[in-house]
Amino acid sequence: MKSVPVKVEHEGKWVPATMGIGEDRFRIDAPLNKEVLYKSVVDLEEKKNQVVVTTGANGESVYHIASVEKVLAVLKKFIITQASGYRLNAFFMSPAVRGGVLIQDAQWEKGAIAVMKTGIWFVSQESQVCIPLGDIAGIELTSREIQEKDLNVVKIDHLGENEVVTSFVLCPMTTLQVLYNFLKEATYGSEVSEEIDPLTGQVGMLVYSGMDSGTIENMLKLSHKELDAIYEKLLGMGLAEVLYIRKEVQLTAKGVRYITETVKSPMD
Amino acid sequence: MGRILIVDDTMFMRTLLKNILFSGGHDIVGEAADGAEAVARYRELKPDLVTMDVVMPKVNGIEALKAIKAADPSAKVIMCTAVGQEQMVKLAVKSGARGYIVKPFQAPKVLEEIKNVLSA
Repeated sequence: MKSVPVKVEHEGKWVPATMGIGEDRFRIDAPLNKEVLYKSVVDLEEKKNQVVVTTGANGESVYHIASVEKVLAVLKKFIITQASGYRLNAFFMSPAVRGGVLIQDAQWEKGAIAVMKTGIWFVSQESQVCIPLGDIAGIELTSREIQEKDLNVVKIDHLGENEVVTSFVLCPMTTLQVLYNFLKEATYGSEVSEEIDPLTGQVGMLVYSGMDSGTIENMLKLSHKELDAIYEKLLGMGLAEVLYIRKEVQLTAKGVRYITETVKSPMD
Repeated sequence: MGRILIVDDTMFMRTLLKNILFSGGHDIVGEAADGAEAVARYRELKPDLVTMDVVMPKVNGIEALKAIKAADPSAKVIMCTAVGQEQMVKLAVKSGARGYIVKPFQAPKVLEEIKNVLSA
């Protein structure tokens, strides 16, 4: 078991500790003094420079571990390949499309996929990619031309850092169908059941593209009130969230006086 | 910053692209609503870059791309299509497209792609 220095969250504080990473388990020395088998891990989440490891069928224990990227990469690889969860060997391409722009040099990577409690992990020799299930915006069983053949793939649209990213998974059709069904079930409830009118759809598309309220009003010739009503509809359907509230103001008498004074030339 | 010709059969998408490109400091020199018009506008305006919708009535985007490349092999064209039509990518790349964007798209990424293609 290799020992590495890490920081762990203990009683609400980050404290230095020594961690041993073995073939089938990791150990965190004082103050935690815990040994965890990778196969008991039910969830693995990734945050900046830290991972959150959950063990036990009901998520009894949660470990917050911070360290350098190299250490976390080794730990994540052991967990992903041994943890309790749906796992399969597959080829994946992530990201293949970023913000609508096709990445032309994106490559298929051979590796494994693990579907855990809160996220799906792609792991290969070169990379480890996590897609939180809550960030999945769409799943589709589709076909894609690979080496001049049309092959079935699962296409996953998900939110990245302020952008929408598309990833693809390729494996035998039977496994693909299982993965697709599993992801559909895991993300159940995020589908839109109501019909959206064309204008609301256009507003949604413009918000997606990054247009601000003023631009949307100009583009679609909408008044502030009309756009607000459409925003309310999107909010009510759970399709949008409030980023910030814009204020419209008018000057008070004091404000008018100030502005009038400032524009007066010295000769007046 | 570049002089750009926008080709798309829907006014909505042309306006959206115009707003995005304008916010990035580009000059929109013209618009076209189908492939035939795109080829004519390209000859007339000689833009630095074209954003070309793939599926359009009359002459589609791939045919227009081929015609533009035949007239000017150095032409920079970025293809633009809807989700589910990514299969057209290979055909477009074979026909000389420099980039490919999939609708719906996000402004910062579109501007980044335009910048990359313009500076290549």
